[in-house]
Amino acid sequence: MGFVGFVEGPLFYIAAAIFALAAAWRVFGLIRMGRKPDISPPKGSATAGFIKGNLRHFLPRGMFARRTWIHIVGGYAFHLGLFVLFFFGAFHIDFIKQYLGISWTPLPRWGFILASEIAFAGLIVLWVRRFSDPVMRLISDRDDHIGTWLTFLVMLTGCLALQQSHEVLRGIHMLFVDIWLIYFPFSRLMHAFTFVLSRGHTGATYGRKGMNP
Amino acid sequence: MQNTLLTSARTSVGKLGTGLALLLVLLMLFGATETYAQSVRAPGNAVNLDDGIEDGPSNALGDDSQSDFWRNFRGGDPNDIKQMLEARPEGAVLTTTGQHWRELRENYIRKYAGWFPLGVIALLLLYHLIKGKMRIKGGFSGKTLPRFNINQRVSHWFMASVFTILGVTGLIILLGRPLIAPYLGKEVNSVLTSASMQGHNLFGPLFIVALVWMFIKFVRGNFFQWVDLKWIFKLGGFFGGHVSSSQFNFGEKSWFWLVILVGIVMSGTGILLLFPWLVDDLRWLQLSTILHAGGAILLISVLFGHIYVGTAGMEGSIDSMLKGEVDENWAKEHHDLWYEEVTGKSATEEEGTS
Ligand code: HEM
Repeated sequence: MGFVGFVEGPLFYIAAAIFALAAAWRVFGLIRMGRKPDISPPKGSATAGFIKGNLRHFLPRGMFARRTWIHIVGGYAFHLGLFVLFFFGAFHIDFIKQYLGISWTPLPRWGFILASEIAFAGLIVLWVRRFSDPVMRLISDRDDHIGTWLTFLVMLTGCLALQQSHEVLRGIHMLFVDIWLIYFPFSRLMHAFTFVLSRGHTGATYGRKGMNP
Repeated sequence: MQNTLLTSARTSVGKLGTGLALLLVLLMLFGATETYAQSVRAPGNAVNLDDGIEDGPSNALGDDSQSDFWRNFRGGDPNDIKQMLEARPEGAVLTTTGQHWRELRENYIRKYAGWFPLGVIALLLLYHLIKGKMRIKGGFSGKTLPRFNINQRVSHWFMASVFTILGVTGLIILLGRPLIAPYLGKEVNSVLTSASMQGHNLFGPLFIVALVWMFIKFVRGNFFQWVDLKWIFKLGGFFGGHVSSSQFNFGEKSWFWLVILVGIVMSGTGILLLFPWLVDDLRWLQLSTILHAGGAILLISVLFGHIYVGTAGMEGSIDSMLKGEVDENWAKEHHDLWYEEVTGKSATEEEGTS
């Protein structure tokens, strides 16, 4: 078995299994922890608070918006760009179809490129802010940088393989995908799943007290 | 008698036969020519090259001289830069700028481009070995002044990141054939070039975003002033002596405008190369590749100098772009006029005496 066969075959299966099992383990672990029992009578709905907390935190609060607009624009550009390029790129839809049998309409190539450019711009902005803002620098650790760089390398190697003329380039992209999948559950990349829980937890706590989350 | 009759009859039949045979041959020949002509008849939209051309080679040139004729035929003097800029010259049938473009690219640009950045690195190394790091004379004071806000820093590092990706991929595209293929093989070069081209094309448009952002964030303070003349005469203080300067010195201002102006050329030519259908004259694209490569080599070469002064060459410089703040002593030494402007204190007098 060659390099490409290995990274798209056995290594991918192992990585996908680690990703799914370990991420599910962590999410269930968090859910099982539950909340501290609250004996005070509820003044509002915790469920509504959970939902409200999740939705409201998509928007920055008043004065923060002005101070951190770079972070907001960068964050949205990266996450939306990544979502679009992953779920609507023709190559990715083909890949998903191959494994899961389902597919949907892909974006035209120019749309895919544009989404990638927006995602790259966002990710670079987020990363350079991490080291050029003293506070961000203080609260960032190795995991933050590894997570950013792995994601960047997955995206970059994908972009470098766009000509589809050399199998090895696709293989390198897949290698980084595999490493990323294995690293994901053990890192802060897990925020892709856990943000719902953390926002929800805050929201539910406030909601039960009858406060706006 | 019978014999004579028979003989003459035979002769007549023979003549008739010969005549018929000849007629048949002639008919066949005509017929054959007809079918032959039909079988190669040109398609309806083809142009008959013979149309409009007078007979005989002596008339081909008309009254023109041989050289004039060929010059017009191929599109004017290709060595003349104006010819490359003009739309297709009147009366031109064919242009030979492609050949000259290829020669320029292969024999000059690809051959010598790599030496410029290498030369700059060598000079910087030499300077560093002889003069060493430029230290802050009074040492770090521990007191800092805000120099660049977070938007300025992020825009700078955004440009630096995009530029690095474009620089590396661009150099592989330009110099892969002479520098990678002979040593690592054509296959490796082909893989690297394909990857670089895709990366370069995708990141190119982000350079334009970075350029506009940087321009907006840094243009204030980068206009030239009379005090910059002193900086030039004192060679920027790199060989001793103190030079006065405001927020940015002449070297920094020149770097800023070089980035912006050459950046505009890079963006314009890059757009043409990315969307070649925007022009219908191939020579625009040939000119674009040359300007694009030349601009890139210029920026990359000067960038090494910029990076050197920003890091290993000058103590305390990098703080402005990492923390946004600089040490007061650094400011007094390198940007005394700016120090005086923002603090209202004198840069030369000791603390407490001013
Ligand atoms: C990656 C290596 C780089 C380093 C270490 C670096 C370092 C620095 C530092 C320390 C400053 C602040 C100087 C001061 O306080 O006066 C600065 C300013 C600046 N840099 Fe960079 N830089 C890098 C790359 C780039 C690139 C790639 C570009 C553009 C293509 C660039 C363009 C500028 C500009 C325009 C300024 C503002 C100075 C002025 O307006 O004249 N830098 N850089």
